[in-house]
Amino acid sequence: MSVSSTLLEVKDLKVSFDLQKGKIEAVKGVSFSVEPGEVVAIVGESGSGKSVIAQTILRILPRNANIDGGTVLFNDPADNNDAINLAGLDAKDEYLYEVRGGRISMVFQEPMTALSPLHTIGNQVQEALVLHHTKTSREARSDTEEILRLVGFPNPSLGYEMYPFELSGGLRQRAVIAMALICNPAMVIADEPTTALDVTVQAQILGLMKELQKKFNTAILMITHDLGVVANMADKVVVIYHGEIMEAGNVEEIFRRPQHPYLKALMAAIPHFDMKEGERLVSLRDSEADKPADTIHKLAAKFRAQDLGKINGPHLKVENLRKEFLIKKGSWFGSGENKKIVAVDNVSFEINRGECLGLVGESGSGKTTVSKLIMKALEATEGSVSLNTSEGMTDVLALSGQELMAFRRKVQMIFQDPFSSLNPRMTIQNILSEPYVIHRLNTAKGCQQDILDLIQLVGMEPHCLNRYPHSFSGGQRQRIGIARALALHPEVMICDEPVSALDVSVQAQILNLLNDLRKELGLTSLFISHNLAVVNYVADRIAVMCQGKLVEIASKEQLFANPHHPYTKSLLSAVPYPDLDRLLDFENIKYTSSMDADDWGATFKSSQDAGLENIRIDSGHYVLANSNCNRSEIRA
Amino acid sequence: MVSYIFKRFLYMIPTLVLTSILVFTLIELPPGDYFESYVNELRAAGETVDPKLIEYLRTEYGFDKPIWERYFQWATGMLVGDFGYSFEYELPVREVIGDRLFFTIIVTFVTIIFTWLIAFPIGIYSATHQYSWGDYGLTFLGLLGLAIPNFLLALIMMFLANEWFGTTIGGLVDPEFVGQPLGWAKFVSVLEHLWIPVIVIGTSGTAAMIRRVRANLLDELRKPYVTTARAKGMPEFRGLMKYPFRMSLNFFIADIGGILPTVISGAEIVAIVLSLETTGPILIQALQSQDMYLAGSFLMLLGFLTVIGVLISDIALACLDPRIRLQGGVSR
Repeated sequence: MSVSSTLLEVKDLKVSFDLQKGKIEAVKGVSFSVEPGEVVAIVGESGSGKSVIAQTILRILPRNANIDGGTVLFNDPADNNDAINLAGLDAKDEYLYEVRGGRISMVFQEPMTALSPLHTIGNQVQEALVLHHTKTSREARSDTEEILRLVGFPNPSLGYEMYPFELSGGLRQRAVIAMALICNPAMVIADEPTTALDVTVQAQILGLMKELQKKFNTAILMITHDLGVVANMADKVVVIYHGEIMEAGNVEEIFRRPQHPYLKALMAAIPHFDMKEGERLVSLRDSEADKPADTIHKLAAKFRAQDLGKINGPHLKVENLRKEFLIKKGSWFGSGENKKIVAVDNVSFEINRGECLGLVGESGSGKTTVSKLIMKALEATEGSVSLNTSEGMTDVLALSGQELMAFRRKVQMIFQDPFSSLNPRMTIQNILSEPYVIHRLNTAKGCQQDILDLIQLVGMEPHCLNRYPHSFSGGQRQRIGIARALALHPEVMICDEPVSALDVSVQAQILNLLNDLRKELGLTSLFISHNLAVVNYVADRIAVMCQGKLVEIASKEQLFANPHHPYTKSLLSAVPYPDLDRLLDFENIKYTSSMDADDWGATFKSSQDAGLENIRIDSGHYVLANSNCNRSEIRA
Repeated sequence: MVSYIFKRFLYMIPTLVLTSILVFTLIELPPGDYFESYVNELRAAGETVDPKLIEYLRTEYGFDKPIWERYFQWATGMLVGDFGYSFEYELPVREVIGDRLFFTIIVTFVTIIFTWLIAFPIGIYSATHQYSWGDYGLTFLGLLGLAIPNFLLALIMMFLANEWFGTTIGGLVDPEFVGQPLGWAKFVSVLEHLWIPVIVIGTSGTAAMIRRVRANLLDELRKPYVTTARAKGMPEFRGLMKYPFRMSLNFFIADIGGILPTVISGAEIVAIVLSLETTGPILIQALQSQDMYLAGSFLMLLGFLTVIGVLISDIALACLDPRIRLQGGVSR
């Protein structure tokens, strides 16, 4: 054993990138240390330099990066040598190849792209073992299957032969973790290991990492932007902002007594479940330009001047909506059979005028398909969507020609990805005037004032209009997307994961903006998200979707206080809170994802003699259960 | 796998039938036929032609029959290896093409190998050393090869080869070997002449290939799984070959379908300039003189090779890429 016990010590590390426009300092003198078997979290927003630190430790930086100073001392507990400065080694030093994957390994964010699509899981997992230890192929295979079993592959020897695209996201990430652990390294660097996963799968993976970390006594350097994950995993926390450490300490100090204003602000910017009615998120950097009050009044008047529908009742009504996709399964033999996938299965809900319905569910649950069906971007297989207009409830799915064009003005969409939803070859002016051009609403001159009003409404300056989307940040682009959606004075706004691509601080700004606009302009909205805390912040009522079915719908107070469906319960319990008093219970709770529908119990499954039915729990609170079930039992 | 290939073969039948109809219609389209051009040529030379003889020839070769009957005769003939009769050479088409096919295949095959041998290492170097002096230099050379017209390069090379090595101008062998059976001396003579067309035809292809290898590999090098391999401790070159390089091969295999037809048709102009005894010049000549069975059979051969090439690349892609093998398409 070597003298000092510290596993990894980063001292005054400086890293910069050579770019065409000059040098960018990504890491400016960062110091921290990791003890053996410890979990250290590096927290920061995108662009803070946290991933660069991870890449520097393993020396896998891109070619245009330079280490300008500082040391990364790695003291391998498995040998007796002194600590070695990894940052000072030659890029081709053999010790580096020995450390990479052998003594320090890495878990990546995107399990799909982090694995090669052309090689089997077994081949890729086993590679690290073969590179660092001499093993016969039979030994390597049995070791690989053993580690696959350990990370929770139901059938390791089958999993060994499979390709990444044949596995679910959760299993892929398990394979990546197996790849990192197979050589029993002293430290694992986990770069946003659960960001790409659904919340229930995230809880499973976090539990798995914690369990394996204890079992092998591996140190983990966890890089994340999610304070909830940090609270549940870390022993020590390093908060980093623009390449500099803002605050560091053990997890107790950080969460109970945050000192630095940045950390305090970061915590205030996260939506949480205990927010009081009317409480606002405090955005990190207050970039919200003052919206001119008269512009808002003018626009609000325009929105309210519209036809409010002839009859009372819901503004938008969705009944028994169903959508099937045909999947062609390719195979070496014959044509393969066509498989029918039911993406949306008997979904019904109503949204009242001015209300916001939150639609929650994991990826693949059919949320986005529902929104596309409402927009009539996809043809529904069955069911109806109707909108309350001056002619009464109009069946949207039957519209065509002129009527469809008129309908399109009333329902608009805000998209998830602000980068790909704006045409990079159009100026903001063109992007915002396009809706007017398509609907032949106004002359170029006439709509100019509207465009100016819009851009100010979303908190941006008029001089932005002549620029192209690439010169704006993610948050600004999302504002432009919102302005575009508002251009036609829609009645219904569909927001499809509008903040999931944004950083916490920007997320707070956009959520506040959406909330304000909705109230000021009286918009009816459908807010789709996988993030329960975000939905809780904006929505009045919440609908939970699982495998194409709407399993529970209730007001948000009812849903959070009294969830009935096992999937809703699991979803609520799997959210990691940035709060040390409400940690996830990895040992006792089995976090079930929608894949584990078998565990739901007979009450919530269809049986041979009875299908599923919406059972009323309370006023406005319905849960999907077997029609033969004992209702009083469910309500209890 | 067997049934997949079998089905692919079945798909080929309607494709080839359609191609043959198209080819036959195309060569029938221009007004007149070979005999008309022949008579005109003789008249221009001041000779008289016996109309009876022409009439006899027309009947003899079935030109008085309706077009569909002639098509049927031609198409069924091809099935048993009878490609029709070349009027100009007064030989069966098979014999006209057959002799030259050997040289064509040699020239093209060597050219393709030459292209790959040069393009792959340079492409890989350029991609892994992006924006370095080596990358810029090799890119410049490649673009130069792309920009110089082939016929010009052919003339210059021929001149230089004659000045420096005393190689005879034109052809694929020294004149004394023409018509002789292949022996050692003839083989050496072929090699002596071969490198000129190979370099001339190869340069432009190589340059394009380098650019494509470089672009495809650069795309792959940015993918996260490359970082994964590095983080596992994979030595750089082995990692490069196992992951990004193999991924970038897909485009190249999809290309095989396009390579086969060039085996017999490619580089006609260069072949004329260098007076190579390959098949390219024959095609051009046959089209000019409306020697319809020769031209038609030739075009048919191109179509057939294209279909076979696409088949080969499809099978190879399915073998190499599990996503193509195992995943199906989604229909709306």
